[in-house]
Amino acid sequence: MELKVIGKGVPKYDAWGKVKGEIIYADDFTMPGMLYGKVFRASVPRAKILSIDTSRAEKLPGVHAVITHKDIPRNNLKARFGQGSEIGAQFEGLYRVLAEGEVRYFGEPIALIAAEAPEITDKACELIDVQYEPLPGVFDPLEAMKPEAPQVGEKANNIASHFKIRKGNVEEGFAQAQVIVEGFYQVGYQDHAYLELESGVAWVDDDGTIVIRVSSQVIEHFREVAEVLGLPHSKVRYIGTLIGGGFGGKEDITVESYLALLAWKTRKPVKLTYTRKESLLVHSKRHPYYMYYKTGATRDGKIVALEARLISDAGSYAALSPWVLLYSTVDAAGPYNIPNIKVDSYAAMTNTPITSAFRGFGAPQVNFAYESQMNQLAQKLGIDPLELRKKNLLKQGDYLATGYVYDRPVPLDVLAEKAWKALGPKEESKKPHIKVGRGLAVGMCSYGRLTFLHDTSRSYLRLELDGSAVIRCGVPDVGGGQGHILTQIVSEELGVPLDLIKIHVTDSQLTPLAGTTTATRQLYMSGNATLKAARELKKRMIAKAAQLLSVKEEDLVVDQGKVVSRNDPTKYIALVPLINRMSADGEELFVEAQFNAPFTDVPESEIIEGRTHPDFTFGAYAVEVAVDEETGKVDLKRIVAAFDVGKALNPILVEGQIEGGAVQGMGYALMEDMVIKDGIIQTPSFAEYLIPTSKDVPDVEPLIMESMTGLGPYGAKGIGEPPIVGIAPAIVDAIDDACGVRITSLPATAEKILMEVKNRNKEKRAS
Amino acid sequence: MISCDYFKPSEVGEALKLVSQFKERALFAAGCTNILPDIHSGKQKDCVLIDISDLEELTGISKCGNSMRIGSSTTISELLDSSLIRDETPLLYEAALNFADPVVRNRATVGGNLAYASPAADMAVPLLALDSRVVVQSLDQGLREISLREFFVGPGKTVLSPSELILRVEFNLSQNFKVFYVKVGKRNAMAISLASLGLALKIDQTIKDARLALGALAPTPIRAWRTEDFLMGKFPEDKVMEEASEILLSEINPISDIRGSREYRVELTRSLFKRAFRAILSGERGLS
Amino acid sequence: MKNYKLVTIFVNERPVTAPVEPHESLLDFLRHKAGAVEVKCGCNQGDCGTCTVLFKGKAVKSCLVLALQANEKDVRTIKGFTGDFLMEKLQESFVRNGAVQCGFCTPGMLISSYAFLQANPQPTREEIKTAISGNLCRCTGYKKIIDAVEEAAFGEASTKKATSSGSPEISEGQEEVKGTYLLLGGG
Repeated sequence: MELKVIGKGVPKYDAWGKVKGEIIYADDFTMPGMLYGKVFRASVPRAKILSIDTSRAEKLPGVHAVITHKDIPRNNLKARFGQGSEIGAQFEGLYRVLAEGEVRYFGEPIALIAAEAPEITDKACELIDVQYEPLPGVFDPLEAMKPEAPQVGEKANNIASHFKIRKGNVEEGFAQAQVIVEGFYQVGYQDHAYLELESGVAWVDDDGTIVIRVSSQVIEHFREVAEVLGLPHSKVRYIGTLIGGGFGGKEDITVESYLALLAWKTRKPVKLTYTRKESLLVHSKRHPYYMYYKTGATRDGKIVALEARLISDAGSYAALSPWVLLYSTVDAAGPYNIPNIKVDSYAAMTNTPITSAFRGFGAPQVNFAYESQMNQLAQKLGIDPLELRKKNLLKQGDYLATGYVYDRPVPLDVLAEKAWKALGPKEESKKPHIKVGRGLAVGMCSYGRLTFLHDTSRSYLRLELDGSAVIRCGVPDVGGGQGHILTQIVSEELGVPLDLIKIHVTDSQLTPLAGTTTATRQLYMSGNATLKAARELKKRMIAKAAQLLSVKEEDLVVDQGKVVSRNDPTKYIALVPLINRMSADGEELFVEAQFNAPFTDVPESEIIEGRTHPDFTFGAYAVEVAVDEETGKVDLKRIVAAFDVGKALNPILVEGQIEGGAVQGMGYALMEDMVIKDGIIQTPSFAEYLIPTSKDVPDVEPLIMESMTGLGPYGAKGIGEPPIVGIAPAIVDAIDDACGVRITSLPATAEKILMEVKNRNKEKRAS
Repeated sequence: MISCDYFKPSEVGEALKLVSQFKERALFAAGCTNILPDIHSGKQKDCVLIDISDLEELTGISKCGNSMRIGSSTTISELLDSSLIRDETPLLYEAALNFADPVVRNRATVGGNLAYASPAADMAVPLLALDSRVVVQSLDQGLREISLREFFVGPGKTVLSPSELILRVEFNLSQNFKVFYVKVGKRNAMAISLASLGLALKIDQTIKDARLALGALAPTPIRAWRTEDFLMGKFPEDKVMEEASEILLSEINPISDIRGSREYRVELTRSLFKRAFRAILSGERGLS
Repeated sequence: MKNYKLVTIFVNERPVTAPVEPHESLLDFLRHKAGAVEVKCGCNQGDCGTCTVLFKGKAVKSCLVLALQANEKDVRTIKGFTGDFLMEKLQESFVRNGAVQCGFCTPGMLISSYAFLQANPQPTREEIKTAISGNLCRCTGYKKIIDAVEEAAFGEASTKKATSSGSPEISEGQEEVKGTYLLLGGG
C-alpha cells in the first residue's frame, strides 16, 4: 500500500517554536531563588594536589556552597555510559567527578561553587588556593606507550584498550601482492563546536528528588548521578531540553553531576553554563589518531592483504575511548572484501583533555586512512579509482573483517559511480595558479549501538477519544527530528493526522526510556519501538472493527480516518466511534512497546570477531576542488554525496543530515585545527578554532538511494553519523588530483598544501 | 572583578575633556567590536568607556575637492554603502568587503580599527596605500594631522597620546592609479588576516608611482619603502616583478602563530605581491 | 563598589528599565534583565552570531554592543516581528525548507536574513551566502538556510535552489538485489 506520511518532507513539529524564538533551551530557564554554579579548574596539566583551601571562597558574601571531592558521597564511579548493566573487560572507565589527589589534565575540575550571581562565582574562583606539586606529564600517545612514560591513569601501563583483528594470514597475503602501498596518517582533534554551550538547571523537589533540566543526549545518566550522590536511581530525574547541537559532545555527563551536587548541597535551584573558552579547553573531543597502513594488491587491482596499526589518544580519562577504538578496529579495513587482514589498535592515555564520542565515533579517522590508501593504490596501479573500488567492494554475503557475514546489499559500486558521474565534465581553470581536481571516496558507518550492549528502547502511544494521539518517548532531540519522526510513524500507521499528534520527549521518569541519542540509533530503536506500539494498537483496532463489522481481520485496513474493508468500501467504521466503543468495552487504548536490538556477548579477549553492530550505512563522496597553488587555499567547488538510507522517512531531514554532515566533515578535513601544546589547548575560541561559514562551502548535492534493506522502520537505515565518513579522503584525493601533493595529516591546511607544492616543485626542478 | 565606568559626551569637546581626565584608563567606545571581547577575556578590567558612537562630528564620508574625508566612527558597512568609496577608492572598498563579516561590519568603525592597531588591521592596508592622514584632537595638543605611515609603532600601539581622539581619516584622490587588494585568511569570512596586501601603481610606459601596503606581516601594518623605491622608473615586466618580490621579503617580518608559520607568511607575501602586480598589468580588478 | 547606571531600552517596542554596569553588553541586558532569552549566547566574543538582533535598524551582534549604548533606543529580537510580512515569509520558508535543525542559530540567522532582504529584495545565491557569513550553523551545512532565504525572496515557484544531478532517476534495475533502488536528486 502506498505510504501517505512516510516519505514526505513534512516540517518538524519543533520547527515553528524555533523560528519564533519560543523554545526554552537549557540556559534560557530560570527559577526563583536560583543560584549560579561555576567549576573551578586546574591550571596545570599534571600535578599532585597537595592541598585545596576553599575557606576564603566560602566566606565571600553571596557564596552558598563550595564543594570539593571530599564532599561527594561517591566521587569515583565505573563509567557505564548510560548502560543498565556492567559490561566489564576493557570497556569501562573511571568517571571521576572532581579531582582527587592529582590533576590529570589542564582544566580538570577541582571545586564547584554556587553563588547568587555569576560575578560572585568568578570572584570565588580567585579565592580558592590550590597547592600543586608539578609532575612530569606525557602529552603524546606514542610517547605514552613507551615503558618509561609517566603513568597517566589507574593502570601502570598507559594503554587503556587494545583490540585485534585477525583474518586469514597477512604474511601469505603480502607474499602474493605485486604492489604494496604503505602510509602513515595522522588526524587531530575535532571539537563538536555546537552553538549551544553545555548548560542546565537543577533543583531539589519537595520530596527530595533531584531534578536536572539539562541539554543532554543521554538521560539514562540519571543512574550515575544518583550513584554519585548516594541516592536511589528513583530519586534523580533528568528533564532533557531540546538540544542546540550534540554530535556526541553531550553524550558523556557534562554539567549534570555538578548541578546535582550544588542543588543538593544548597537546597536551591542552581544553573551552570560553560563559557565557550571553557568548553573548547576542557570538554571531550574527537580522538586524534596515528595510523600506519600497509595494503597489498595484485597487479590487476585485487587487494590481497591489509595491515593496520592504530593508536588513538585516549586523553586522561578513558571515557568512551575503548568503544571508539573498537569501532575503528571493526571499520579499519573499510567496506572491502579482503581475504587477509591484520589490525592492532591501541588507545593510549595522555595528560590531555578527555577524548570521547563525536559523530562517526572512530569511523572517520580510519576512513581517512583506508581511502587514502585506496586512492594511492589506484595511482600506483594505474587503475581508475572507481574501478579499483568495484574490484574490491564488499558484496552481499561477503565476510567483514571480523568474520561476520554481511547478509544485506552493499550498493557502494552504484553509489560511487552515481556520485562520480554526477560531477559531469570537468572544467579546467583559466588561471595558471588555480588547479582543479577531483576525488572519490567511499565509507561505511555503523548504525545502532554495539550489539554486546544489549540495546533496547521503549515508546508509549495512546489514542484519545476524539481520535487524536499522544506519544511519550524518552528520546533526546538534538535537532535531527528524533522526536518528530515518531509522529510521522504513528500518523502513517494509525491514520491520525500529524497535527492531532502530541509527543512528549526526554523525561527520564515521565517518558519511557528510549536510550541514548547516539550511535545513529534513534530512528532504528525508538522508531521501531514506536512502530511496534502503533502496530499493536492497530491490531486491536482492526480486531474490534472485525468484530463490529463481521468482516475478517485480514480484509481490513486503516485508511483516511477509518477502518475499512479492502473488498467492500461500504463496510467501515470511523476511527472516533471505534475508539469510543473500544474504550466503553474496557479495551486498552494505549501501548508501551519495547524494541530490542540483536544481542551478542561482550568480547572475551582483544580479538574482535563476529557481529559487533546491528548494521552499517554505506555512502560515497565525489568532490571537486580548485586549489590555489600560490596560497595553498582550497576552494571546494562541488560535493556530491550518495548514500543508501534504506528508506527516507522524511527526505528533507535526511538531506539535512547529509548536507550538515558533509560540511562538518569538510571542516575536519580542511580547517578545524585544535592546536595543543604540552597538554594545553592553544585555540580556545571560535576566532582561533575555525568551523566552516556559509562562504566556505558549496551547496552539497545529496543523492539518496532507497534500498529498503535497513533494520529501521520501513526499511530505513541510520543517516545521522554516516555523512561525516568519506568526505575527508575525497577532498584530500581531489587536492592530489589538482596539484600532485598527497596530504597525509588532517586538517589539510593551506599552509600544509602550499609547503607540499613547493617541495613538489623543488623535486621537479631537481629531477 | 571588572570595574569600569561609562560616559556619553554630547559633543567632541566634552569627549576630549573626559579623556584628558581619565588618560590611560579611557577607551573610546564606538563599535565595541574589540573592546567588549577584551573585557570578557579579562584584558580590560578597569576602563572608562567614553561612548562616541553618536557624535555627529565623527560621522560622514565626503569628497572635498580632491580629498576624501571619512569620519572616524564611519562603520565598514557605511563604506560599502557609499558610492563615493565604491567608485573612487576601490582599494578601500575591496578591503571593506573582506572585513570580518556583514554583521560585525555594521558596528566596526574605521577609526576603531586604526586605533586598535592590530598588525593585521584590515583598514590600515588600503589607507596606508592611499597615503592617508589621521586627523586627531586633544585638549593639550589641539588638532594634529598624523601621516598613517607614522601612526603605528607596534602591535596594539600607536603614536596617539592617551588623550587624543581620532576625528577623521583623509587622503588625496590620485588619478591613474591601478589598484589591487588581496587578503588571505584561514576561511572565507570572519577571518583574521594571515596576510593582506594592497598595491597601487601608476604606469605610463614605466612605473611612475608605486604604493605597496601590507598587513599581518610585521609588528604593524607597513608600507614597503624599498620595494616602492625599486619599482619607480622601472618597466613593468616580469624580471622587475621578481626582483621587487625579493626586496619585499626583506621588508616584512612575520611571526609564527597559531594561524600560520613565518615561512608560510613569507611564501604568501611572495605569491600575493606577484599576483597583485600581474593583475594590475592585465587590467584585472580587485580581489584575486 | 559597583557602579550601576540606569538604562531604558525599547525591546520589541516595550521599554525595559534596569540598572546595568558600564561594561555589561546588550546581550547580557536582553537575556538577564529584559527576559529576552530568545536572543542566544554562543560565544560572547562576536564570533558566532547567535546573539544577532536589530539595533538602529541594522543587524548587530548584541554581545558587541554596550547596554548603555542602547539607552533610549530600539532593539528588535526575533519575538518582535508579529505581523511583519517579510519575517513571517522567512519563518515559514525556514520551516518548510528544513532550514531549522537544532534551532540555536535560527533567531540570529533570521534577523541577519531579514535585514539583508530588506536592503536586497532580489539577491543572488552568492549574495545570500555572504549575508549570513557572520552567523555560524553547525547542523545544516547552510544549504537549506540559503534555499529558505531564496524562496522567501523569490517565492516557491521561481526558486533558484541548487539541485544535485538534475532530475531523479528511478529503478536502476539492479537485478541481484531485492527491493527497488530509487536514486533521487536532492533539493
